[in-house]
Amino acid sequence: MKRGLGGAVIVVVLLFATLFPVLWTLLSSFKTLKDIVTPVPTLLFQPTWQNYADVLATPSVQHGLTNSAIVVGCSLGVGMLLGVPAAYALVRHAPQLKSDVLFYVLSLRFMPPVAIAIPFIVIYTDLGINDTRFSLILTYCLTTISTIIWLGVPAFEQVPREIEEAASLEGYTEFEVFRKVALPVAIPSLIGAILFTFVIVWNELLIALSLTSQNFTLPVVAASFTTMGMEVPWGIINASTILLALPPFLFIGVIMRFLNRFFRAAH
Amino acid sequence: MNAANPRAEPFGKLWSHVGFARLALGPPLALLVLMSLPPTIGALLLAFRNVSLMSPGSRWVGFANFARMLTDRRLHNALRISLVWEVVTVAGAVAVAVLLGVLIFETVKGRARDVICLALILPILLPRVSAGLIWRFMYSPLMGIMKYPLQLVGVPPVEYLSQPGTALYAVAVVDIWQWGLFFAVIMLKLLETLPASPLEAARLDYASTWGVHWFVSLPMLRPALITMLFVKAVESLRSFDLIYTMTNGGPGIATETLDLYAYQTGIGMSGRISYAAAMSVLLLILSTLAFSVLWKRSQRWSE
Repeated sequence: MKRGLGGAVIVVVLLFATLFPVLWTLLSSFKTLKDIVTPVPTLLFQPTWQNYADVLATPSVQHGLTNSAIVVGCSLGVGMLLGVPAAYALVRHAPQLKSDVLFYVLSLRFMPPVAIAIPFIVIYTDLGINDTRFSLILTYCLTTISTIIWLGVPAFEQVPREIEEAASLEGYTEFEVFRKVALPVAIPSLIGAILFTFVIVWNELLIALSLTSQNFTLPVVAASFTTMGMEVPWGIINASTILLALPPFLFIGVIMRFLNRFFRAAH
Repeated sequence: MNAANPRAEPFGKLWSHVGFARLALGPPLALLVLMSLPPTIGALLLAFRNVSLMSPGSRWVGFANFARMLTDRRLHNALRISLVWEVVTVAGAVAVAVLLGVLIFETVKGRARDVICLALILPILLPRVSAGLIWRFMYSPLMGIMKYPLQLVGVPPVEYLSQPGTALYAVAVVDIWQWGLFFAVIMLKLLETLPASPLEAARLDYASTWGVHWFVSLPMLRPALITMLFVKAVESLRSFDLIYTMTNGGPGIATETLDLYAYQTGIGMSGRISYAAAMSVLLLILSTLAFSVLWKRSQRWSE
């Protein structure tokens, strides 16, 4: 009984600490500026869609949203197309390369983004592709391919070797064993890996901020609102904060299942 | 064999002709090398020239940019801030993870545990820009919710983000809020994978629950904890997005880490690309060295 009560208290306190900042922002995104600046924080107010309407009507937000969708979509697509077969080949066909490639892929993560961004500005300017979606996609591919390989390798290691061997005895080619046997078994774990990768590139600010001035992404737009003019438009900032965070939140359930599967399989 | 196989596809033929492994590994690795080598070499080449957005043309200047670092006090400040940031956020996140992980493991069971895990991974999914703006709004001395409890007891609002003494820690709280809570879920999942019998036996030997975990389960989880520390150390280096959104390095240069200073120098205000490149080379060397050594070490420690 005592333990049950203690557990309940901890649940409530933790849920509050975790969720309150997000919920407060969500609530405030429906407030007018007058309701935001009240001396005593208010829970009762006339909700308004105005902040969201204003945000979505801002040309830079529309532009940033389009760019984010295209840039993240393309780099994730390339990352999947190249990263998933590579992860599989490392597990089944080239295990002698596995630890070296994994270390190389991880070492790309050591590279500070600013150390990549500065030379890329010069290189892309020389090539005449600076400040384009193409150059941003190319740069993000570095992140998507390496992350998908890194998380894809454990996903394929969980596939039982026997069913693959049985399939190749049936006359399946190596490609067919991959596509028709290994891939379907690994797909639940791979989806988690791909969503993780999506969250990383969707959330990225520094490289987009450095490499673009016209073709900026949504995080760049959201970050720029705070430097606008003298009066900080908190209603609009709250609304854009929520909009930016919405896509990653949609996948929270799938990512949780991925974590559960990952730790169950590891032991 | 392919021709006889009714399942063979044109794509499949190509794969088996060139060799599946070569085709699957060649292009991605080639692209990774192609995209990671030029910026590394480019940064080195730039660091030995004097490229600037202010003046056209540039020339070879040898080690001048690196010599300038020795006397650049703003750079020394940035190095110090980066180091403090690494230590505070890595230690903070892992400490929160271990404490909360054990606490939840011991006190919350069943459905409530699933709900709490779902809530705890929410902050890490937030874009850094969103997390930064959410907390900047809460910290705001004018309308932030954080001033309200203090105001009730008559304490004037604290401007956490605009005081040099508190700003870095106020930002670090947000980082730990994101990573510490996420790692707490990982910690909990790890504890769940431990075999029950050594824990049960230890409960007889040690008086307190915390003793059981300190002496039994944490040592059993050492490899995973070391990986956790390592991952956080790498991720903490990516502090730019959060700090840029919350303080932009301010007040003054109180929260200016090395990547922020390099950004401001090369891209933000001054456009001194070569000097910024030299700084990023320094950052690259420091982090690659540190993490390569740490990674090899952690592989050994984990065995």
